[in-house]
Amino acid sequence: MKTVEIRNMNKRFGSTIALNNVSFEAYEGEILGLIGENGSGKSTATSIYAGMQKCDSGEMLFMGTPWNPSSMNDALKKGVGMIVQENGTVPGVSVAENIFLSESQRFKKGPFVDRKRMINEAQTALNQIGADHISASQVTAMLDFQDRKLIEIAKVMANNPKVLVVDETTTALSQKGRDIIYAIMEKMKKENGTVIFISHDLDEIMHVCDRLTVLRDGSIITTFKKAEFDEDAIKTSMIGRELSGSYYRDDYGDPAGEEVVLKAENLCHTNQLDHFSFELHKGEILGIGGLSHCGMHTLGKVLFAAEKCESGEFTVYGKKVNTIAEAMKMQMGYVAKDRDTESLNTEASIKDNIAIAGLDKFAVSGFLILPGNEKKYVQKQIDGLSIKCTGADQYVSALSGGNKQKVAFGKWLGRESEILILDCPTRGVDIGVKQAMYQLMYQMRQEGKSILLISEEMAELIGMSDRILVMKDGALKKELFRSRKLSEADVIQYMI
Amino acid sequence: MDNEKILKREKLRRMLFSFAPAAGLVILFALFMAFAIAQDINIPYSLKNILNQSVIVIVVATGAIFIYTLGSFDISLGANMCVSALIGAMVYGRTESLVMMLGACIASAVIISLTCSVLASVFNLPVFVTTIAMLSLLNAAVLMLIGANGTGDIIQVPAEAVSSINTIQFKLFVLLAYLAVCVFAFSFLKLGRQEKFMGGNPVCAALSGLNNSKLAICAFALAGLGVGLGAFLTITYAPTLSRNTAGSVGMDVIISIVFGGMPVSGGARSRIYSASIGALSMTLLSQIMLMMNLNSGISQMVKAVIFLLVVFISMNDGRKTILPR
Repeated sequence: MKTVEIRNMNKRFGSTIALNNVSFEAYEGEILGLIGENGSGKSTATSIYAGMQKCDSGEMLFMGTPWNPSSMNDALKKGVGMIVQENGTVPGVSVAENIFLSESQRFKKGPFVDRKRMINEAQTALNQIGADHISASQVTAMLDFQDRKLIEIAKVMANNPKVLVVDETTTALSQKGRDIIYAIMEKMKKENGTVIFISHDLDEIMHVCDRLTVLRDGSIITTFKKAEFDEDAIKTSMIGRELSGSYYRDDYGDPAGEEVVLKAENLCHTNQLDHFSFELHKGEILGIGGLSHCGMHTLGKVLFAAEKCESGEFTVYGKKVNTIAEAMKMQMGYVAKDRDTESLNTEASIKDNIAIAGLDKFAVSGFLILPGNEKKYVQKQIDGLSIKCTGADQYVSALSGGNKQKVAFGKWLGRESEILILDCPTRGVDIGVKQAMYQLMYQMRQEGKSILLISEEMAELIGMSDRILVMKDGALKKELFRSRKLSEADVIQYMI
Repeated sequence: MDNEKILKREKLRRMLFSFAPAAGLVILFALFMAFAIAQDINIPYSLKNILNQSVIVIVVATGAIFIYTLGSFDISLGANMCVSALIGAMVYGRTESLVMMLGACIASAVIISLTCSVLASVFNLPVFVTTIAMLSLLNAAVLMLIGANGTGDIIQVPAEAVSSINTIQFKLFVLLAYLAVCVFAFSFLKLGRQEKFMGGNPVCAALSGLNNSKLAICAFALAGLGVGLGAFLTITYAPTLSRNTAGSVGMDVIISIVFGGMPVSGGARSRIYSASIGALSMTLLSQIMLMMNLNSGISQMVKAVIFLLVVFISMNDGRKTILPR
């Protein structure tokens, strides 16, 4: 039986056509994959179905009856839940309050809220999805990105939805988090529920889904049945052309420079870094891999002087770096994992975001901003990175994930950073943009720039790095060198 | 409709939105003129009055824009102005020099303002918290200064001493000079860009090498300069100072800034001219309601409704309807 039906749906955001006559359906006991480039309309279509926003025209059915939820909460109560791509928790309140954000009435005890009961029920919800390591009484802001995502999952699953939409969630999760989501999806499938799964990870989506619907520029291109899954055919239908050139770099045996540009010695940071030492060379892509909590994300912040370590030190070109401003003076740049909070000011324009890190580069005498200079500086990055936008004044919040990431790159490329710390640089971007970013990273390497590539994607680490440092519990577990023979299993065995 | 037409329509909509506060001012001015002509009111005299009423608020509010842009606010501006004016008047009493009086007003206002930001930086507190503490301290200082140096209730500067500068030309000169400094700093210096970015996302700003404490100190220094000039202009306009001097300035500044289209959360959409547009609009609106013979209760209600409307419109300009994809 059809659970989800979307017929001739249209949606426009200002001048952008987000959905153009989109129709698709999903069945009971099915995991339907939605795939497409950033901005293809996957999130828009599903968010409309989940009550986040309204379509301009079109029809929706749920279990054969007309479907028009007034809000996400309304949709969830009626059986359709969605785990969103962006961060969907409130940081300043407890985990339990996040899980029962719209249901405080349920815990009313006279004029008060029965906090104890709320925490108990929230803990049960967390335990049921396998996130028992999270305490329901904790303040949400104390948790990392992955755990906050798990709270959202618990919140949705506490309502036993018939239809679950998982929107580009897994790339934010470590293997443990992914396993939790996969288990939930499998359980829903077995219990005759429906899952709509959105991901840019082609291997993952091909493995998990029963059918795969491809969107491009707001239109449905085609739907593949499981038996028809073919990586090249899916990629071609996604981007409308065959991917030319190599996806990852294809050179082997081309050594990085001898010069050490960054040297870390015995870095220690509470539970995150344990006497971690390494050297980064000129013209080297150094991969840092491990499970999400292994400390690699903290390492990125420490090396950019955004966090202080308890002991140990690091030098850049032989000099100690104590502040972010000093790191920038030493031509360092840092693209954070949490793109919308740490890398970009989404409520500012592309121009503001790219220019902010390079003010000293184009300001006359170091302080005077001439609009012409600024425009030239920003436009060079927009053109160089092929950022799809209506102009430099467009707000970053209106860009697709891939283009947002390009802006984050442009911010540091503009000031000609020699050392780039990239924390999960391709998280949530489609294969077309991914390929462009890999080519850019390789080009930078060839120009003698050094890159510290922190990533949770094994294939990316293996495909792009000259060396890989595998971390476990904050310590260096293994150093692996670039080789055709290096496999994911070789890396994973040191991570777990 | 093709894409280019839609794009043009969207650009036009955004442009109209950004000019809405200025358009509001023009409409209010047109209404004022219509009433003035209909009621045969002395227009030059009324306009001079409006400017006189607005100048001080514009000066103080324009400086305060730097604080608001950071996403913060200063509740002690009025009290700071009162203390600075009292100190200025006392210095005049000792030196009988207007220049020294101006210097004393500016110096005390800047020092008080900087104290707020430096304390916030030292104790790692949100700046508005220290401004709340400063408000209490300044109110106490007002009482002490008046008690120690005045007749008990007031401190006076002889009217004839300031009559030569109590002219609209002098006030406009001070206003335009200060506006020029602020517009230059806000639009053409790194400071303005950095403040807007910091106000929009402090986490990202810090990771882009911006120093919140330094920016707050600069913002408070510029705001202090405005407060000092406002204190000086207050003495020239009303040389008898009491504990009530500048009592409503703090609230007038907030209302003017918001009324001029400044987003309450600061950030990238902050505009330096919001204070001027807002203060003039508020004064014109009061004048129009006076001409309509509305009693002060109704006129306060009208202002409150318009205030809410402006905030609502500025927070719902349509951008947020675009879903991040």
